[in-house]
Amino acid sequence: MCQHQFYVAKPALKSSVTVCARMRRDLRGALLLLLTAAVQSSSMSAPGKPVLLSCRSPEKETFTCWWEPGSDGGLPTTHHLYYERERLEGTYECPDYLSAGRNSCFFDKNHTSIWVDYYLTVMASNALGNATSDPFKMDVMEIVKPDAPGNVTLRVEEREASPCLHVRWMPPSNTDTKSGWVTIKYELRVKKDNSNNWKEYTSGTQTHFSLYSVSPGGVYTVQVRCLLDHGSWSEWSNTTFVKISNYLQNERPLSMLISILSAILFIMAGLILIAKRKSVKQWVLPPVPGPKIRGINSQLLQSGGSDDVGNVLIIKQSFPPIYFVWEDQMEDYLIVTENEDWLSSNSQKRKKSLIPACFHFDSEIHSKESPCHQNDWEKDEEISQVDNNNKPFTNTGYVDFQRNVENVDVKHVDYSRVKEVKSDNIIFLEKEKVQSSGYIHFQRQEGIPEDYSRVKEVESDHLVVLQKQNAADLSCKDEGNHYTDCALHKPRKPHVCTELSDSGYVDTIPAPPLM
Amino acid sequence: MEKVLFAVLTLVYLELSMRVVSAPICSYGQAGCHVPSLADLFERVIQQSSRMHSVSSDLHSDFEQYFFPRKNLIGKRKCHTYDILTPEDKENAQRLGREQLTEVIVRLLQAWGEPLSELYQSMSQDQNQDFNLYSSNKALEISDILHELKDGVTIITEKMKLLGVLSNTVGYNSPESLVPSSAFYTQGDLDSMDHHDLLYCFRRDSNKAKNYLRILKCTTLPEPDC
Repeated sequence: MCQHQFYVAKPALKSSVTVCARMRRDLRGALLLLLTAAVQSSSMSAPGKPVLLSCRSPEKETFTCWWEPGSDGGLPTTHHLYYERERLEGTYECPDYLSAGRNSCFFDKNHTSIWVDYYLTVMASNALGNATSDPFKMDVMEIVKPDAPGNVTLRVEEREASPCLHVRWMPPSNTDTKSGWVTIKYELRVKKDNSNNWKEYTSGTQTHFSLYSVSPGGVYTVQVRCLLDHGSWSEWSNTTFVKISNYLQNERPLSMLISILSAILFIMAGLILIAKRKSVKQWVLPPVPGPKIRGINSQLLQSGGSDDVGNVLIIKQSFPPIYFVWEDQMEDYLIVTENEDWLSSNSQKRKKSLIPACFHFDSEIHSKESPCHQNDWEKDEEISQVDNNNKPFTNTGYVDFQRNVENVDVKHVDYSRVKEVKSDNIIFLEKEKVQSSGYIHFQRQEGIPEDYSRVKEVESDHLVVLQKQNAADLSCKDEGNHYTDCALHKPRKPHVCTELSDSGYVDTIPAPPLM
Repeated sequence: MEKVLFAVLTLVYLELSMRVVSAPICSYGQAGCHVPSLADLFERVIQQSSRMHSVSSDLHSDFEQYFFPRKNLIGKRKCHTYDILTPEDKENAQRLGREQLTEVIVRLLQAWGEPLSELYQSMSQDQNQDFNLYSSNKALEISDILHELKDGVTIITEKMKLLGVLSNTVGYNSPESLVPSSAFYTQGDLDSMDHHDLLYCFRRDSNKAKNYLRILKCTTLPEPDC
C-alpha cells in the first residue's frame, strides 16, 4: 500500500512514505503487545490433568462416571474416557458422553458388566498437548447407590385414643425388583414441627410403614431412603408434610378435672386411713390371743402395786363381783374348777382354752394335736362355778387355788386360794396379799393334792414361771405326766405344751397347739 | 380319683400337643417330619448367602483399612475361580436357564470350601496382631456359613428335581475337575497380600452366588413381587 502511493502521487510522496513507516511500526508494536499479553496469561498450554471423581450405578445394570477436568490451557480442550476391562481384551472408549451431562460418561446395559474390574482413564487434549488422569479401578458391584424412593404419601388415621400416621412410597422407578435382581431395603425418618431431631425407623423391604407415636397438633415431616443389596444409601426423598388436627383439645379440660377430683379423693382416703391406722391395723391384723387366767389380768398383777392387787383380790362376804380387766376374747385362759358335775353340765360351752398347765413329761409333743388334747387334759369347757366343796377335778388341767374352804389355813406361802369362781372369768381369791406367784396345782384323777409346782412368777399374759423345787415331801408318782416336780427331779428334758425351759419357767403356748 | 383322672388327661394332652409341635424338620419327607416348602428353603438359603457376603465384605474393607490404608492399585489379580464362567449381568443370568444357573452356583460354592479353611488357618496362626484374632474369627464364620450354604443348595436342588422343576441332568461333578482350587496359592504360606486377594475374590463370588440364587428363586417360584 505504501508503494502504490509512491507511484501515483508525486507531490504526496513524502507524506505517504512517512505514513507507511508509521503503520509498520504500529503493527509491529501491536504484535509485540499481543505476544507479551499472551505469554503473561499463560492460557496457551497443554491441558491440566483431569481427575476421575466417582462412579455410580443406580440399579446395578448401568453406571455413570464423572471426572473433574484440570485447567484447559487456554485452548479448547476435549476429554476422552478410555477403559479396559477384566476378561476383555483391548481399550475402549466411553460409549456415551452426553446422557449424564458434562464431564461424564454413561455406560448402558450393553456395556455394563458386573463383577469385573474396570480400569478407567480420562485424557484431556488440546492443541498443545494431552494430559491423562490416574487410572481408576472400579467394580460395578461396589458402586451401587440407588435413587431416592418416590411418591411418598402420608395418610393420617384418626383413632379415638391417638392418631397414627401411615406412610407409603414407591421404589425408585429404575430398579427391577420383579426378577429378584436387587433387594431394596428402606429407612424413613420423621421429625415433628421444626425441631432438628429426626427419628429413624427401618422398614425392611416393605413399601409402607405406620407410625403410632404421633400426637395431634403438630406438623410431621417424613423422608424415605433406600439401599440396594450391600451398596450405599440413597439420598433422602423429598420431604412430605402432614398436619395432624387438634381435635382432642376440647376434651382435655374435662379429663383434667376428673383426674384432679380422683386425686383429691385418693388423698382424702389416704388421710383417713392414716388417722385411723390403729383400728385399721386391728382389723387387718387381729392380735394373737395369749393365755389368760380367767379373771386375772396378769398385767395388773405385774404393773399394779401389790396393794391394788390385793384390794382387787379381797373377797368380800357378799361376793360382789370383782371385775378384772380381762380380755373377753376367745383366748386361752386357765380354767379353775373342782367340780366334776359342773364339767359335764357345761359341756356345751366350749370355748377355747389354754391348758397352760399341761405338762407331759414323758411324751414328746410332735404334732399340733398335743397329747394334752387327747387325754386327761382335754379342756373345752369353761368354768362357771366352783363351790366350796371342791371335789377334785378330773381330766382337766387347771389352776387350783383352793381345795376346801375349810382347809384354808392361811399358810404363809406364796399362793392365793380361790374361794369361789363366780361366773365366766371371775375368781374370788381369799388371800389379801398376793405375790406374783401362785400355785399351779395339778389335779390327778384321785384328787390328791400333792402334785403341784410352785409358780415363781407370772410374767406376762402367757408366761408363768415355775420354781425349781426340791420338794422332798412330794412323792414322785409315776402316773401320767402330771408331775412337774417329778420332771424337775428327773434329768430328762420335758416336752410340754408349755415349754419348760432349763431355767425352770413355764412359757405357756397359746391355744393352737392344744385345741 | 378325680385327681388321678385329671393328671392322666393332662399328660395325654401334653403328649399330643408336644407331638404336634416338636416334629423334626427334614427335607426328604420321611415319616413324621414337617417338610419345609421350596419357598422356605429358598428364603433360608438366600438369607445365608446374604449374610456370607456381608461378613466377607466387612472383613475385606477392614482388612484394606488396616493393611493398605492408602487407596492404591494393587494390580491386576486373578481369582482362582476365574475359569468358572459366570453370567455377568442380569440378562445373561436370566437367559442361562435354571439348570445351568444351579450348576454355576454349586460350582462356585464348592470352589471355596478349601481356600476358606486355608485362609482361616493361616489367619489364626498369624499371632502378631489383634486384628488377626478378629479376622480369623470372621474367616471361621464365613467358612461355616459356606458349608451350610452348600448343604442348603444341595437340598434345594434335590427338592427341585423331585418337583420336576429341575431336570435330572444337574449333577455334582467331581469338584477337582472343575475347580482349580488352592493349587493357585502356594501351599500353606499365605501372607497378607494373599489374604487380601482371597478376600477380594471371595467377596465377589459370594455376591455372585447371592444374586444367582435370587434369580433362581424368582424364576422357579412365580411371585408378583419377588
